[in-house]
Amino acid sequence: MKTEQIRNFCIVAHIDHGKSTLADQFLLKTGAISEREFREQLLDDLDIERDRGITIKAQTVALRYALDGVEYELNLIDTPGHVDFHYEVSRSLAACEGALLLVDAFQGVQAQTVANAYAAVEADLTIIPVLNKIDLPVTRIDEVLEEIETVLGLDPSEALLVSAKTGQGVDALLQAIVKRVPPPQGRPDAPLRALVFDSKYDAYRGVITYVRVKEGTLQKGQRIRFMKSGTEHEVLELGQFRPGMVACDRLTAGQVGYVLTGIKELGQVHVGDTLTDAARPARVALPGYKKPQQMVFCGMFPTNSTDFEKLRDALQKLSLNDSSFTFQPETSDALGFGFRCGFLGMLHMEIVQQRLEREAGIDLVQTAPNVTYEILTRTGEVLRIDNPQQVPDAGQIAEFREPIARVTFIVPAGNIGTVMQLCEDRRGVYRSTEYLGPERAQIVYELPLAEIVYDLHDKLKSATRGYGTMDYEVIGFRPADLVKMDILVKGRRVDALSTIVHRSVAERRGRALVKRLKKEIARHQFEIALQAAIGSRVIARETISALRKNVTAKCYGGDITRKRKLWAKQREGKKRMKQFGEVEIPQKAFLAVLEAGQDD
Amino acid sequence: MQSTKTSEPIRLKDALLRSRCGAGAVGIGFTPQTVRSAYVHVPFCRHRCGYCDFALVAGRGDLVEAYLEGVAAELAELPWSFELDTLYVGGGTPTFLSPGQLRRLFALLTDRLALRRGAEVTIEANPADLLDARKRAALADLPVTRISLGVQSLDPAVLKTLERDHRPAEIHEVFAALRAARSDWQLACDLIFAVPGQTIASWQNTLQGVIALQPDHVSAYGLTFEKGTAFWSRRRRGVLTELPEDEQLRMYDVAIDRLTAAGFEHYEISNLARPGCRSRHNLAYWTFQPYLAFGPGAAWFVGGVRGTNHRSVFTWLKRVHAGVSPVAEFEILDAEQQARDRLWLGLRLREGVELETFRQETGFCVDELLGARLREHVQQGRLTVCDGRLMLTREGLHVADSVFADCVG
Repeated sequence: MKTEQIRNFCIVAHIDHGKSTLADQFLLKTGAISEREFREQLLDDLDIERDRGITIKAQTVALRYALDGVEYELNLIDTPGHVDFHYEVSRSLAACEGALLLVDAFQGVQAQTVANAYAAVEADLTIIPVLNKIDLPVTRIDEVLEEIETVLGLDPSEALLVSAKTGQGVDALLQAIVKRVPPPQGRPDAPLRALVFDSKYDAYRGVITYVRVKEGTLQKGQRIRFMKSGTEHEVLELGQFRPGMVACDRLTAGQVGYVLTGIKELGQVHVGDTLTDAARPARVALPGYKKPQQMVFCGMFPTNSTDFEKLRDALQKLSLNDSSFTFQPETSDALGFGFRCGFLGMLHMEIVQQRLEREAGIDLVQTAPNVTYEILTRTGEVLRIDNPQQVPDAGQIAEFREPIARVTFIVPAGNIGTVMQLCEDRRGVYRSTEYLGPERAQIVYELPLAEIVYDLHDKLKSATRGYGTMDYEVIGFRPADLVKMDILVKGRRVDALSTIVHRSVAERRGRALVKRLKKEIARHQFEIALQAAIGSRVIARETISALRKNVTAKCYGGDITRKRKLWAKQREGKKRMKQFGEVEIPQKAFLAVLEAGQDD
Repeated sequence: MQSTKTSEPIRLKDALLRSRCGAGAVGIGFTPQTVRSAYVHVPFCRHRCGYCDFALVAGRGDLVEAYLEGVAAELAELPWSFELDTLYVGGGTPTFLSPGQLRRLFALLTDRLALRRGAEVTIEANPADLLDARKRAALADLPVTRISLGVQSLDPAVLKTLERDHRPAEIHEVFAALRAARSDWQLACDLIFAVPGQTIASWQNTLQGVIALQPDHVSAYGLTFEKGTAFWSRRRRGVLTELPEDEQLRMYDVAIDRLTAAGFEHYEISNLARPGCRSRHNLAYWTFQPYLAFGPGAAWFVGGVRGTNHRSVFTWLKRVHAGVSPVAEFEILDAEQQARDRLWLGLRLREGVELETFRQETGFCVDELLGARLREHVQQGRLTVCDGRLMLTREGLHVADSVFADCVG
């Protein structure tokens, strides 16, 4: 394939703006799939992605498209749309020359759209603005075009109008891709340089490496070298996604495809690495990627301690396909042996937890998530804290620092006040407001990450009736007056319930938390005191009175089964409990820390 | 430990045959002769009371004939004839049936189920129905030996909350009339306490009044709010308020104290009887004896299989008339499950479980079934061992379900 006939592009969009549907339309229009196969969200192949309507992993597909008698190869690299998976987006962008910026014709430009568009501009891509869902009865096409100009600085006259659902305008869009997106540079006869932009584990084929050939030619049987890791392998198979894996003999400069080398562990393939020819290596590797940084951590413990090994295996298996989460063994007095897991964000955490429970069938107790902190000790050492247990005694702390993020909101103009209040309540520092049009504004705040990850997104949604969107990036650590708050159940500290909070809200949080715990922990045959404490100072207390009555007088005329079933149901509920001393604490209680903030 | 369930529908008849052949019956040489008890559910009432979640239809006298044919169909499929020591006709309201219908029901039953000499035959009755002399006369002609009266309370306000259709004075009238009709009838009273609005004083008056009536047996049930009842939603809406737990417990304790002081033996969590007047039928449940059952929602236990007929009266009718099994669900208990059931059911009795007999007959030690929980319950004073018997303490009675749940495993 000549490079002049290749176009590499991706679609960037806010979640739910119809990215996957548009991708499906491309498949349909180019004959890659039949009408029958045209179903919603075809490219999302993980169950959970389908459930939640979001894309987690980048996907890619090679389309054949003929225009004016010339056959073109259009490589579409699909990208995730959620803020947690930012790094995946930037990875995909590096493999393209063009980007479709897809915007919902009613909802308009959203925070995520802005973030993605900026990333595409930074990557020097040709951007084609596309308004989707023009078939909807209510659209705001003119206003949205204006937003594209004001916010993103793109020429609105270049925008195309489509309906991914009905297919309207999709042909014109395909033509625009051919005409506007520049063909890739790079000579097929130069020394091989191929960018590894993703990888995936397949139980039968081992690691599937996603590559974009920048220069040279990649061939079957070739001896190749990963320039960063220095390992050498033979190309056992290579090919393209159309959309299923179709093997071919070579991939030349500009093409996108996959390589199988017999590597069995995902950890051996580094995304961002450069593939080169072992016999005729390139001199310089391609610029790689920054490794994603886990910012949210939580403990995951098997409810049944005998499941520890099973959990380890399951985590290992999951990490095969998601190298962006980390885990290491952790011991808790309350919960026994488990793992401290690091995630890119809250959604990422939820997805991993669900996959563990669904795919491995392990009942988990998950502790409330926390962000990473930094502590400067009196001895001048800087500690990275991703678990409240690691916080040293107050006397040893010279400075307690928390991660700060720059948060961009796009909200209806009428909600500016509410959103600013939300941020002020969360120790936010105001940066700027900018009107995108008469109706909508962009607000920028600097907020502690801890205040964002817990519930800011939900709060924003309810404050703006769903119309507000947000995006954030971590900009650094700043000192703050932080303390570790412990929870004592019946006089014993439950390490898994400890949290790091700002001193100004500690008491309020403590009171809300013990109140919340009181609701979650069932009554026992004895009284249970619940206390929140900073160091040895108790700041809040609640008491769960003893269970005094639990007896069913009647036995239902011999219907023993029914009675027994009731107990079985109660037992099912107990499965998610952890025995702590004499007290049974349900899984939900460990997450109460999260909701406690909302009660005040 | 999960119960075994197969997709094949099972009939009472299947269970009987299966247990006869040894499959399903664990360790016990089953013969039809070992089945000595039967329950018949009469699913009719004039009105469904707000707290009731039993299988029944209200005000549908037109269905009685079809029901009687249905019972006949269920009886007809029994593979053997049986000789019973106890027969219990419950409901619903059996006395909702006309004298003629009652005679037909008993004729059907005694046709297939022979009553042994001295058999206990109980019928549940709504006191208001027995104000009718013809109904009393009909009962007197039947082989009934025991009448269980739904007295519930002697406080008009409580009766009103419970939506019962009788007045306290009528209870006295009915008692006197029944005594006059057959002096050898055993009379039992069902009472309900912890009714919203009920006071300790009201409950004490009811107990006093009931003692004065000199019944042979008293069942005192704490009101439970069952899902699907009117009371359940009224409580949710805040129309009804459940009594505080302490008050409920006090009422329970008062009932036991008063009645035992009046000469009743407290022999099961909620049941008290004059010496020699315990409910033999209910004892069969608690001592893990097999029993047959007929009618909608009726539960049977034969040869290690527990089955429950469909709870919908209409579905039950449709099924039995179409010759389809009326059983909605069943479980085949393995040896351990049988032992566990036997343990917790036995613990409902104040005399508890004889440990050595239990071990010999089930092959399981209570220690291994309860594990560490046994010691915990004993240490915390809920269970006690006395003369080789494991039993609930007086304190343990209050939280008996917590103990039973542990027995079930």
